[in-house]
Amino acid sequence: ENVDLQKTAFLLRKAWTLYSVTPLYRFHRARLRDYARLLSAFIAAEKQKGLAVEVGVELDIKVAVSSLADLRGSEQDQAAVLVQLSLRSRASSRNSEDKLVWLGWFCSVYGDDLSENLPEDFTCLPLFLTHGAESYTSMVGSWFQKTFDCCFRRLAISPLNLSWMVAMWAGCKLDRAASAVELVFSVPHLSQPLDISYAIHPEDAKALWDTVQKTPGEITQEEVDVFMDCLYAHFHRHFKIHLSAAKLVKVSTAVASAHCDGIVKILHSQYLLGVLMLLTELAISQIQ
Amino acid sequence: MDETVAEYIRRTVLKIPRAEIKTMLQKWGFLSEAQLQTLNFHQIKDNISQEVVQLCEENSADIKQAAVLDIIYNHIYQNKKMWSVYQMKKSGEELECFDITDFKKKFKGRLRSALKNVTITFKEYEDNAIWIRVAWGTPYKKPNQYKPSYVVYHSQTPYVFICASVLKSNLPLLCQALIVASNYHDIREMELRSHSLDSLKDIVFKRYSQNFQTYCPKPLQGGNVEPESADIRIVQENRSEKERIHRLNWEVFGGGPQPKLEFAQYKLETMFKSDPKMGVLDKKEPFRCLVKFSSPHLLESLKSLAPAGMADAPLSPLLTCIPHKARNYFKIREKKGLFPESFVSP
Repeated sequence: ENVDLQKTAFLLRKAWTLYSVTPLYRFHRARLRDYARLLSAFIAAEKQKGLAVEVGVELDIKVAVSSLADLRGSEQDQAAVLVQLSLRSRASSRNSEDKLVWLGWFCSVYGDDLSENLPEDFTCLPLFLTHGAESYTSMVGSWFQKTFDCCFRRLAISPLNLSWMVAMWAGCKLDRAASAVELVFSVPHLSQPLDISYAIHPEDAKALWDTVQKTPGEITQEEVDVFMDCLYAHFHRHFKIHLSAAKLVKVSTAVASAHCDGIVKILHSQYLLGVLMLLTELAISQIQ
Repeated sequence: MDETVAEYIRRTVLKIPRAEIKTMLQKWGFLSEAQLQTLNFHQIKDNISQEVVQLCEENSADIKQAAVLDIIYNHIYQNKKMWSVYQMKKSGEELECFDITDFKKKFKGRLRSALKNVTITFKEYEDNAIWIRVAWGTPYKKPNQYKPSYVVYHSQTPYVFICASVLKSNLPLLCQALIVASNYHDIREMELRSHSLDSLKDIVFKRYSQNFQTYCPKPLQGGNVEPESADIRIVQENRSEKERIHRLNWEVFGGGPQPKLEFAQYKLETMFKSDPKMGVLDKKEPFRCLVKFSSPHLLESLKSLAPAGMADAPLSPLLTCIPHKARNYFKIREKKGLFPESFVSP
C-alpha cells in the first residue's frame, strides 16, 4: 500500500464531490492524449454554444488527462485516471502560468466486486471525484458518457454509512494531534429547523471505540451500532433528546470528513487508500 | 471637509438599502429638508452617495456627525451584529439618580485619559437605551472608523450590551469606562450571546412570558392536540401522553413567544456512564464533548422537540434554563455526592 505521497498530496484537504460511474466501454489507456484533445474540443464547442459565460478576454481551456499508476488497491484494480482543466489566457503571449480550474479523477480501490465478471472491453473505475465548478463537471461528464457509454450518478451517503465512517475513522491511530470527532445532525421537520453538532475529544472517542471493537482489523455492524448507541446514550443523559431519531448529515474526524450529499474531504495521507476503498464500495453498491 | 470623513460618509450611505436612504438621512437631521429635496433617489447608489457627500461638504461635516449616521444605521440593522451581555455590580445599596450628562462626561474622561485617539459618540433612544459608539486609535494613529465598538446601556438596569468589534484588546478599557461612568464597581461578561439584541433584552429584563411554578392553569382549549374526529372508529392513540407533553411544555416555556436566540453551546466534562454488561468504556476521566445547537429560532425549535417525539418531556433543564439563567454558553461538570445524575454548571 505504498502510495507516493508527493504525487497524491493534491488529493488531500480538498472537498471532493462524489459520483458512481458504470464501467467505461473501449477506454484505452494508450490514447489519453487523444482523449484530452477531444475533450478540449468538446468543451470549446460547448462554450461556443453559450453554455459557459465568459467576460472580457477570451480564455482557453487546456485539458490534461493522465494516469496515476499508484492510485489503486490491488493489481486487479485499474490505475486511477486524472482529468485536469486549466485556464490559459490568450491575451498574454508569454508562457504565463496556467490556472487550474477543475480537477476530476476516476479510481478503483479494491473494486473487485464489479470488475470480476466484466467482459474485456470494459474498464472498471467506479468512483469519480470532482473539485471545481459544476458547469465543468457537467461538460466533462457529458463527454465521458457520450464517448464511453457510461453513466454518472451523484453518490449520496446514508446515515448508516456515515456512522460506519465515523466509527472507523475515530479508531484510527494518528501520530500527531488530532481534531475532534464531530457528528452533525439535522432535525428538519420542526416548527423551526434545528442543527446539532456533537463533537467529541479525539482521544476519548478513540478510547470508546477501542473498548467496543473486539477484533483488530475487523469491524462489524454490531460494533458500529454499539459505538453509536453509546454516543446517543451519553447525549440523551444530558439533554433528554433522542439523537438516533435525527438525521446524521455530516461526520468529521482528523482522517476525513464526509457529508450526506456525497462530499468528502480526505485529510490524512496515511489513510488515503482506506478511505478510497470505502468510497469505492459505496459507489459499486450504488451501481449494482 | 476631511477626505477621510467624506469617504466614511460615502461608504456608510452605500451600505443603506436604496429605499431606506431618505428616511435615514431625515433621522440623521444633518442635511436640511431643502437639501434632501435636491437628491435624486432613483439613480444608482454610487451616485446617490456621491451627492450626499457633496451636500455634507457644503455643511462642513466632521467625523462627529458622520459617527451619528453610523449609529443610526446600526441601530436599525442591529441584528447584523453579534451582541454579548455584561452585567455590572454595585458595591452598596445607593440608589443614585442617573444623570446622563455626568455619565457622558465620566465615560469620555476615563477613555481619553488612557487613549488620546478615540472618537466617542452618544445617541439616546426613547426606550431609555443609550447607544455609544467608540472608534479606537493608538497613541500614533487616528481612530479606525471602520471597526468601532458599540455599547447599548439601559440606565435603569445593570446590563450593558456590547458589540466589541475585532479590536478585543480595547475591551477592558471600555468596561472600565462604563463602570466609572455609571457608578458601579464591577462588570462581568455573561455567557449570553446572540444577533438579536431585542431577544437578549427580553431575557435579561425578563420581558418574555415566563411561567411561575405556583400557578398551574389548565392547558389552552383546543391547544396543540388534534381535535376529536367525527368518526368514532378513529381513536386518538396516546391522547393522554400528548396532553401531558403539551402541559409540561406549557409549564416550562409559557404560552407566549420565546426570545430569539440562534445557538446554545455546551462544553461537557462529565463521565461516560454505561451498562456494565456492554463492556465498554469505564474511564475515571471525563468524556469530553462540545455540543452546539443552532436554529433560526432556537427556543421555539427546542419547544417543538417533545411534541415531535424527538425528546422526552419534560425537556432537560440544561436546555430549559437558558432564558431564566440568561446564558447560552455552558460548561457542565459532574456533580459529586448525593445526586450523581445531576450536573453542575459553573
